[in-house]
Amino acid sequence: MSLLELESVDAAYGKAKVLHGVSLKVEKGERVAILGRNGVGKTTLVNTCIGVARLNGGQVSFGGKKVSTIRAFTAARSGLAIVPQGRRIVPGLTVRENLILGSAPNRSGPWNQEAVFNLFPILRERADTLGTAMSGGQQQMLAIGRALMANPDLLILDEPSEGLAPVVVDELGDALVRLAQNGTSILLIEQNFGLVHKISERYYVLSKGSVVEQGSMRGLSLESLKKHVSV
Amino acid sequence: MIIQVLNGLVYGGMLYILSVGLVLLFGLRRVVNFAHGGLFMLGAYAGYAASMQFGFWGGVVFSVVALAVLGALLDRLVFRPLQNVDHMITVLVTYGLLLVFEDFVHTVWGADLISVRVPALLAGTIGIGDTQFPVYRLVVIAVAIAVALGLSAWLHFSRAGLYVRASSVDSLTTAMQGVDTERLSIGVVALGTALAGLSGVVAAPLIALSPSMGSSILIESFIVVVTGGLGSFVGAFIAAIVIGQVHNFGVVYLPNVSSMLPLLLMVGVLIWRPTGLARTQS
Repeated sequence: MSLLELESVDAAYGKAKVLHGVSLKVEKGERVAILGRNGVGKTTLVNTCIGVARLNGGQVSFGGKKVSTIRAFTAARSGLAIVPQGRRIVPGLTVRENLILGSAPNRSGPWNQEAVFNLFPILRERADTLGTAMSGGQQQMLAIGRALMANPDLLILDEPSEGLAPVVVDELGDALVRLAQNGTSILLIEQNFGLVHKISERYYVLSKGSVVEQGSMRGLSLESLKKHVSV
Repeated sequence: MIIQVLNGLVYGGMLYILSVGLVLLFGLRRVVNFAHGGLFMLGAYAGYAASMQFGFWGGVVFSVVALAVLGALLDRLVFRPLQNVDHMITVLVTYGLLLVFEDFVHTVWGADLISVRVPALLAGTIGIGDTQFPVYRLVVIAVAIAVALGLSAWLHFSRAGLYVRASSVDSLTTAMQGVDTERLSIGVVALGTALAGLSGVVAAPLIALSPSMGSSILIESFIVVVTGGLGSFVGAFIAAIVIGQVHNFGVVYLPNVSSMLPLLLMVGVLIWRPTGLARTQS
């Protein structure tokens, strides 16, 4: 049973058609990467899964169940947790409050505040400061922690390394590897090929809104990967 | 002097209960509700009508519940469809609603002024210094403080309050965490209109009821919301208290220009802090 499956999905923002016949799936326990240059529709793919981009054709399924009306909160309750591009830490809320917000789907599982604090100890130290007052790297940790608080079946990360210093990306990568080793299913949308290579088992390449290539990361060299993700 | 301050607090308290409903509605729906004064008026009339059968307190309960139900309906039929449209359309539709409410009240109760009696339990006065001050007016201040404290506690110490705060600044991200922001908005709008009803029914014994009573208080409630900072609960509280004092001292000491004073205060605050008293630039 696939945690997420897109079958021949067409999606658009208003009249602007962005995705054309995209099909992909993520199975339980898999780490899958979506590669592609800027503007090819990677974020639109995520937005289609939460109903922000309009589904014009095709079918989206969460956990094997076809979804007729996609809405952001139903996606979260169905087990999809998203670490959005730009992190979207809620202004005015403390780190702790952002984490509590993440637990809104009320799903059972290993993740709670303590477990997130153990994964990212800096969040424990800064629990009562405003989330938006932290550095970019710390905010990214908070965004990941917030997503984990939902005890998701599938963690979707949209460009988590964007705007971060290389040393912070390494730290983030290590945390994601630990998550992957614990069996967390991950869909990673990323242009940092080092991070993609470290985490993913399979990949899809998007170009002009369509999947143009897919395969196993095992056979893919860093050089070929670079070709797909370079701007 | 202390009596003037207390009277200012009474007016400020009434303004706060009304304005905080506007803040809730704007925060969740991004709709500037010109019909809010009409809800204040409907609250007063609904309370008056129910109090004929069930007494003053029955009227208070009926008014709050009826306005909450009306708010939920308005959210579904009006505010939700308006939340992403041009602000001018919002202004026209909600102002049109205000006129509909006024016509409704005019048709049912007529244009004559109606007085509502203070409930017997609160009809007395209390000595403050060498003057007597009506107990009911102190109760209005107490109700405003209770609403402010209750709202603050709900927003800061409950899960639903956390969702409201989150949704009022980033509705999409809040929904992405699994919060049904549409259902939340209906509840919050209902709370906002219930507070408009509460302010109307509480104000009823202090002011004469008329179909135009909503239009007259609407401007000052907008001044409170804008001066406090759009969407800010703390700002609305501070602004309501300050404007209550300005209004009251203006009526006593500068009666010729008293109606201008809250506007001048708002202009001054906006020049000093364009985002209002309690809202930081984002």
